[in-house]
Amino acid sequence: MVLLPLKQSFMVTSDIYKKEYDVIIVGGGATGAGTARDCALRGLSVLLVERNDYSTGATGRNHGLMHSGARYAVTDGESASECISENMILRRIARHCVEETDGLFITLPEDDLEYQKTFVEACQRAGIRADVIEPAEARRIEPAVNPELIGAVRVPDASIDPFRLTVANLLDARLHGAVTLNYHEVEGVVMNQNRIEGLKLFNKQNGEHVEVRGRVVVNAAGIWGQRIAQMAGANISMFPARGALLIFGHRVNNMVINRCRKPANADILVPDDTVCVIGTTSDRIPIETVDDMRVTREEVDVLLKEGVKIAPSLATTRIIRAYAGVRPLVASDDDPSGRSISRGIVCLDHAKRDGIEGFITITGGKMMTYRLMGEIATNAVCAKLGNTAPCVTAAQPLPGSEEGAPDQRDATKRYSFGQRAAIGRHGSLAARIEKDNDIDNALVCECEGVTVGEIKYAVHQLHVHNLVNLRRRTRVGMGTCQGKLCSCRAASLMGEFRHDVKGAQEDLAAFLDERWKGMRPVAWGDTLREAQLTSAIYEGLCGLDLAVNMEGKEDVQ
Amino acid sequence: MKMDTVIIGGGLSGLACGISLAKRGKRVTIVASGQSTMLFNGGSMEMLGYVDGKAVENPLGAIASLPESHPYRKIGADRIASIAERVKLLFSDSGIEMTGSANANHWRITPMGVAKPAWLTLSDHLRIDNLNQLPAKRLALMCIRGYFDQPNAMLAKGLRDLGFEVDMIEFTTDDITALRRSPSEMRATSLAKHLVSNNALQRVADQFNNLAGDADMVLMPSVFGQSDSSDFQLLQSKVNKPLRLVATLPPSVAGMRMMTQLRHYFKMLGGTYLTGDTAVSGTFDGDRLTSVTTAKLADMPLKADDFVLATGSFVSRGLKADFERVYEPVLGVDVDADADPEKWTRFGVLEPQAYFGYGVATDSQLRCLKQGKPIQNLRAIGSVLSGHDAVKMGDGTGVSLLTAIAAADHIREKK
Repeated sequence: MVLLPLKQSFMVTSDIYKKEYDVIIVGGGATGAGTARDCALRGLSVLLVERNDYSTGATGRNHGLMHSGARYAVTDGESASECISENMILRRIARHCVEETDGLFITLPEDDLEYQKTFVEACQRAGIRADVIEPAEARRIEPAVNPELIGAVRVPDASIDPFRLTVANLLDARLHGAVTLNYHEVEGVVMNQNRIEGLKLFNKQNGEHVEVRGRVVVNAAGIWGQRIAQMAGANISMFPARGALLIFGHRVNNMVINRCRKPANADILVPDDTVCVIGTTSDRIPIETVDDMRVTREEVDVLLKEGVKIAPSLATTRIIRAYAGVRPLVASDDDPSGRSISRGIVCLDHAKRDGIEGFITITGGKMMTYRLMGEIATNAVCAKLGNTAPCVTAAQPLPGSEEGAPDQRDATKRYSFGQRAAIGRHGSLAARIEKDNDIDNALVCECEGVTVGEIKYAVHQLHVHNLVNLRRRTRVGMGTCQGKLCSCRAASLMGEFRHDVKGAQEDLAAFLDERWKGMRPVAWGDTLREAQLTSAIYEGLCGLDLAVNMEGKEDVQ
Repeated sequence: MKMDTVIIGGGLSGLACGISLAKRGKRVTIVASGQSTMLFNGGSMEMLGYVDGKAVENPLGAIASLPESHPYRKIGADRIASIAERVKLLFSDSGIEMTGSANANHWRITPMGVAKPAWLTLSDHLRIDNLNQLPAKRLALMCIRGYFDQPNAMLAKGLRDLGFEVDMIEFTTDDITALRRSPSEMRATSLAKHLVSNNALQRVADQFNNLAGDADMVLMPSVFGQSDSSDFQLLQSKVNKPLRLVATLPPSVAGMRMMTQLRHYFKMLGGTYLTGDTAVSGTFDGDRLTSVTTAKLADMPLKADDFVLATGSFVSRGLKADFERVYEPVLGVDVDADADPEKWTRFGVLEPQAYFGYGVATDSQLRCLKQGKPIQNLRAIGSVLSGHDAVKMGDGTGVSLLTAIAAADHIREKK
């Protein structure tokens, strides 16, 4: 009676492991998801495996900036051209993931205004619209900008939700027959002489070890791709570049704001839904440390100091969270020292390079160019398999953004707060969210407008196993209050859906712990206050610390 | 405007201190922001719940084992024992029915069904004196349809783990269904606003009497009774089994009710309660505080013989931290806190966090220090004090109440 009905939950059956696939893709970030979609649309049978949740690596740990390419125009014309071309494609195919904000490149008194000229010329060369505007006009269209600016250029930057983008690609891949598995970690490769024939996997959810077979394996594991390549006997020299970012408690700016100077630390401020993000720092780190994504006090200090120069009101805006990601930069093959590092897309055919058949690595690049990377990798796969189908991913909209999909900004429609938010998140797929049951419209997360129906939809159709997954699919707990009460409501509902109350409590504790990881580096001011409030509620009032035992628990991702 | 005592902060501690002084004829003004952590209260007061992670059986007896920096040690165990009796009186005088003993903790039941040690619990809330002798065998846990601030499945599991048989029973009434049409209205406080009339309560009682089956006690979330316990008594009179309430996630209707009752009593004793105002600064003359300025009465500083700082911890903005330091924002008095920000917190959200123990530094008479020297007429009470940990030691409300009355005694005794 209290329990809500459990419907068509996604279950892993052993048939999935028995089949031989045309292609197995390792990595559930944007690149892996984009490759899976492309392969599936070209008629290949596809298996994608991800060791954690989808978009937990660099995909989910950047600005959420849809580059116009302007940032790279001066230093890397090729990347700039790729960006603007993909930017225009994503506006069409991923409308529900994109917010068309436009961006400013501002010159501050401490910067050289001469650079603006170089910048505009480079943008023009790359095909990026770049309009020089008066500082007064910049202040008018973006009131949050540092009023002391001496120059501004308007470019077609935008804001994009990488979690939603990745899920939309995975959904489309699945609609076209692909099998996608999260929480499946690659433990080894199955070799037959010099050919990869499959992968050894560890199912982290039930502890099983399984083998899967495929004709081609695509390594799209980002920075972790070095390890995957090693398992097959190929050596790729990756140079992890770590970038830290800060999320502020509300959206101070409506446009992306960049500094008009050579790319440096913390020079981009991006509006993302209800919040805004400043970043990034850039530090080379040893490959052994790529799993430690905790942000340091020094990084926070740099981000704040520079952020305030872009938008002075950041000085008085609450920081809700700090996080870091790792860009997978690759040393070029003729210079393994790392002095000449490519920031562009790298596609390695290991048959030619290392004599390993059936193995391709796609890496480098940017979240922004994930589709193009998918296309390049799929072309390489198709060449091996003799498939001649053309790539259609640039023309065919993603699920959620089809022709005639509802628009949350459509003022002629009467949507409830929750419906409007859901349409913004899921586009046309919002129609799949149940509204018949009398409590489906009840709000679980008031900051982000997440309803019971949307949670049901995410649990049953979007591979949600825990609250952290749920947050990535729906934004539950991502808003200003950072999951103070909604996380308990959502945990309780999930406990009912999944018939596992103890698990729901452990999940809640893990979710709060994951939030705290992002809050701790910025735990002063109102963030410390929020942290104390959360402890007062969950430990003091509820005794969650006594209900669960966190010792020896692995990090949830 | 010259008062005998000005209390900065109108939460549990400020009110307890104000009542204690007003009762002895002092003219007292309380400056209250209007917010209180009683919004997160679970219907109980805790004197001392845990020492070194172990549940405390006898809070008074365990005081000796606390570090000397703990506020209870400053007051002394003997004195705490007598003050504890006066706290019970203070509640009953205010019309709040609470039971419990400072010599023997009982167990309160949290919204997640965890049993935590408590000193005093509202008599309409479920409490367990002895875990081997439960107050009922079979419970009918009444779950309000569409109300998500009671994690029902967790609560039921916790109660079953304690040894109860639990029937989870969903119910609703026309009044509640009407409320649910607005998706954000299903909060404890809005339920409490609607479950007031005799008819509304009768409809709830009818559901209970129909659905409770052969349970021998009916449990429901603590979502009604805004001003006093009469609504509970009315509902109980209509339900044919013993009825008990269980705490919910915030907002806590019971906590807000207790605050209303304490405020009424304070005003009845002649106290002045300035709601929606906050103290912003003070003027010192040597080792004395002469006046306090508030945000709304900027040109009319509040003067008094004595002052009490009851502004709470970080959560109530009684303490603040910036990138580099922890400080007390109103009067700039000394705080006990680690100088190195890396030590304030640690990874592991459920680990003990050092900042919970931070607070205003005081001498043995709870007088605040400024640059190491006591301010003769300024005392700190409650959560703003250093040396305790409301979350890990379960001493938050106890420190609020006991230091409040101890400070009131010091103020009266000094002349």
